[in-house]
Amino acid sequence: MSAFAELATGFASALTPWHLLMCFAGVFVGQLVGALPGIGPSSAIALLLPLTFGSDPTSAIIMFAGIYYGAQYGGTLTSVLVSVPGESSTVMTRIDGYQRALQGRAGAALGIAAIGSFIAGTIATLGLTLLAPPLARAALAFGPPEYFSLVMLGLLALAAVGGSLLKGLTAGFFGLLLGTIGIDQQTGVSRFHFDQVWLLDGVEFILLTVALFGVGEVLASCNMTSLQPITRVKNLLPTRDDWRASWMPILRGTGIGFFIGVLPATGATIASFIAYVAEKKLAKDPSRFGNGAIEGVAGPEASNNAAASGAMVPMLALGVPGSGTTAIILGALVMFGIRPGPELFDKNAALVWAVIASMYIGNVILLIMNLPLAGLFAQLLRVPYRWLYPPILVLCVAGVYSQSNSIEDAWMLVAFGALGWGMKRYDWPAAPMVLGLVLGPIFENSLRQSLVLSHGSASIFFTRPISLALIIFAALIVIAPACRRLYRGRAPAVA
Amino acid sequence: MSARLDVGEVILAIALLAIAVLWVAVAAGMPMWEGFSPQAGFLPLIYGVALAALTLAILIARLRSAPDAGAEQGPIGKPLIVLAAIAAGVGGIELIGFATSMFLMLAFLYCVVERISVIPGLLVSAATSAALILVFRTWLGVPLPLGPWSF
Repeated sequence: MSAFAELATGFASALTPWHLLMCFAGVFVGQLVGALPGIGPSSAIALLLPLTFGSDPTSAIIMFAGIYYGAQYGGTLTSVLVSVPGESSTVMTRIDGYQRALQGRAGAALGIAAIGSFIAGTIATLGLTLLAPPLARAALAFGPPEYFSLVMLGLLALAAVGGSLLKGLTAGFFGLLLGTIGIDQQTGVSRFHFDQVWLLDGVEFILLTVALFGVGEVLASCNMTSLQPITRVKNLLPTRDDWRASWMPILRGTGIGFFIGVLPATGATIASFIAYVAEKKLAKDPSRFGNGAIEGVAGPEASNNAAASGAMVPMLALGVPGSGTTAIILGALVMFGIRPGPELFDKNAALVWAVIASMYIGNVILLIMNLPLAGLFAQLLRVPYRWLYPPILVLCVAGVYSQSNSIEDAWMLVAFGALGWGMKRYDWPAAPMVLGLVLGPIFENSLRQSLVLSHGSASIFFTRPISLALIIFAALIVIAPACRRLYRGRAPAVA
Repeated sequence: MSARLDVGEVILAIALLAIAVLWVAVAAGMPMWEGFSPQAGFLPLIYGVALAALTLAILIARLRSAPDAGAEQGPIGKPLIVLAAIAAGVGGIELIGFATSMFLMLAFLYCVVERISVIPGLLVSAATSAALILVFRTWLGVPLPLGPWSF
């Protein structure tokens, strides 16, 4: 069946009342958490994981995807209105968006951002529709060595997304290490349970995710009490001049965002940064940038939304997440008993196509929500964080406790929550840790199967072309930042 | 600005280093290799060694370089009190019941930590606890622990 025929079946599923409701709930929550500083899409998905456990995976993943791309829209509100990015990917929008707000033109900035995000989100979802299936088909030839190399690439790529590769790798290895707790799937040996029966089941993905992204985020943000004055939102529809200046940046931002989103080890934040720099370089009068240039809003906004859809390509086709939030969605797939990777399009086609179709629908819902209702969402920014975080914490405790009615899990939530706070405080990325825990068993099994195939020789990873290519790509991710640092160190200082 | 060591990050790295050393020690006593295939202790040993090397690298880098002057981490007093409140809330679950324990935790956070007026603080705490019970016990059927007074 062609991609469009599959997409049609996806629409048939996504347009059922329950899936539509979940799509709406997802983008609404995404918009909300994107707008509220102190809670992001990763935290929102983490908090909802326990509520969706045991439910229909398609509706849950539709909702999680909605939260992910909906948050890109929501983050714009705070960037433009209060100069505080709700999401890291909207940092660049803040520069010119807030300047426009100070000039009394916040409405047009939000309008262009919403329309640009819609166009970019839709085009990028079309790109996802066309690119992901052939990529997955090509990857169907993967055997254990290729899976081993793919998991290694995924872990290294996610570790490289944050500011420090060293900290990212440390988090990733700690996640892998946690994944060894419990009974070894292949040999049946119980490992690292320290004579505690409750540790035989290992560390649950939900527990770690809720602790790091729920409790950890709250502890890192609970000092945040001050409220910024919020600019009034009016005249959301852009003028003819705004539109004339914005349509090319929107298209360029879409291309840049999608391309960067598809690449592992990048993400929406880098995409929006590159789009902003590109617009500034191409502008006839670059001095307008930083003083409220509409292109400085249109390009980065289109770019971060396109990157969000682009990041779904490697996540769905290969099982390699391009961002922290897609890593959690990947973990959710595993939680539902679905093996991520190239087989997803083959064995769970109904789920994948329903999710892709829901992304088209979600973008329309977000456009409707953002044009007439932007002012209403802006009012939500007036809710102080001190009212919000205590209910988030009890939801974390209830969610984790309810998984296995285990008080030990609740204690582990406290411990990992404290760890998450420390990691957030010192800028250690938490997503590689979650991914390490999720992919650890696949990593170990594929290593063992590969070595059995090769009679114990590690050369199998280097003699199979796809595996070798993946290893080279993974090595580049590690080597490139070191080379860049070395080059910068040797380059003559420019006065 | 005087160069001040980030003690918190050093503690974080040392804690992970200690865990890595524990993993190496335990994994060393497990079977490593049989036939063509690695056994239960092989990868945990590799992970432990790698984690130890990485945390040591972070520690050395942190001890050798001056802390980032631009990094503003904020006070730790309030997060520690909130963490203690969560721990007390969890500790109370099996003693006084889930609903009561969570209500007291919420009331403490609103009325003591955030200094919100008592009446609105208690009302929001009660409403949140009730909503939680409604969702988890009634809707999802989770048998949340009851207190001595059966709620």
